[in-house]
Amino acid sequence: MILEELAFVFLAGIAVVTAVLSLLVRELVHTILWIAIFFVDLSAIYFLLEAPFLGVLQLGVYAGAVTVLLLFGIMVTRKRIFSREAATGIGAVPVGLALVTFIFLIAAVGEFSSAPGTIHSYNPSDLSQNLFNVNGPWLLLLGLIMLGAVGGAIYLVREGRE
Amino acid sequence: MTDLSVVGFLGLSSALLAVGIFGVLTRRNFILLLISIEIAMNAAILNFVYFAGFLGGTSGLTGQAIAVVLIGFAATEVAVGLGIVLALNRAKGTINVAQATELRL
Repeated sequence: MILEELAFVFLAGIAVVTAVLSLLVRELVHTILWIAIFFVDLSAIYFLLEAPFLGVLQLGVYAGAVTVLLLFGIMVTRKRIFSREAATGIGAVPVGLALVTFIFLIAAVGEFSSAPGTIHSYNPSDLSQNLFNVNGPWLLLLGLIMLGAVGGAIYLVREGRE
Repeated sequence: MTDLSVVGFLGLSSALLAVGIFGVLTRRNFILLLISIEIAMNAAILNFVYFAGFLGGTSGLTGQAIAVVLIGFAATEVAVGLGIVLALNRAKGTINVAQATELRL
């Protein structure tokens, strides 16, 4: 479908541009704004890939929770929220390393056929069956790791720690 | 049914991974470092979601389940990372990682 290809090219362009802008703007609050657009854009790509459950999860967890957490991180660590970062030079070595990685990966991608592949759609109840039966132990492990992480984060920020 | 080419998706996730690596190597602010890691992680999740749709069947469902677990891991990582940001800010008065030279905060 030409329409879906066009939609994907549009969304992919927005994703790359917002990801680069979020790292290049000098005000941290603007960074959060760009990264929120990036997360919403990726959620739209998931909807395009016929994965609506993951799209909603991306909206709720990334565009919602992670963005607000990062905003709180900025609010509690600076006197004025809208204050500029000191300019950091963009060294040749990091840009070169990133470019080499990109060219290497693109060369590997070139091995694949460029013919369009069919994206299968899912019944969400099948996904929940798979998530809680077949992959149940992994979900349980995720819950335990999250519990440990919350305990660790509370330990890190508690008052009176030497 | 949707028809999309594999090359475009792999190219997009390669570009996002490169942007993430660039951010990790150049930025010195801890929050920007966290954001770079999130961008790179989203590139990986995008691959899982695409190939889940591409394969179909049980393997595809497993791919989507892995993507769900990865999104949870990423949120956990941000929570712990912000805990470290607050501890670093309290100990040093800055969140510049270049000044976090002692292992003990």
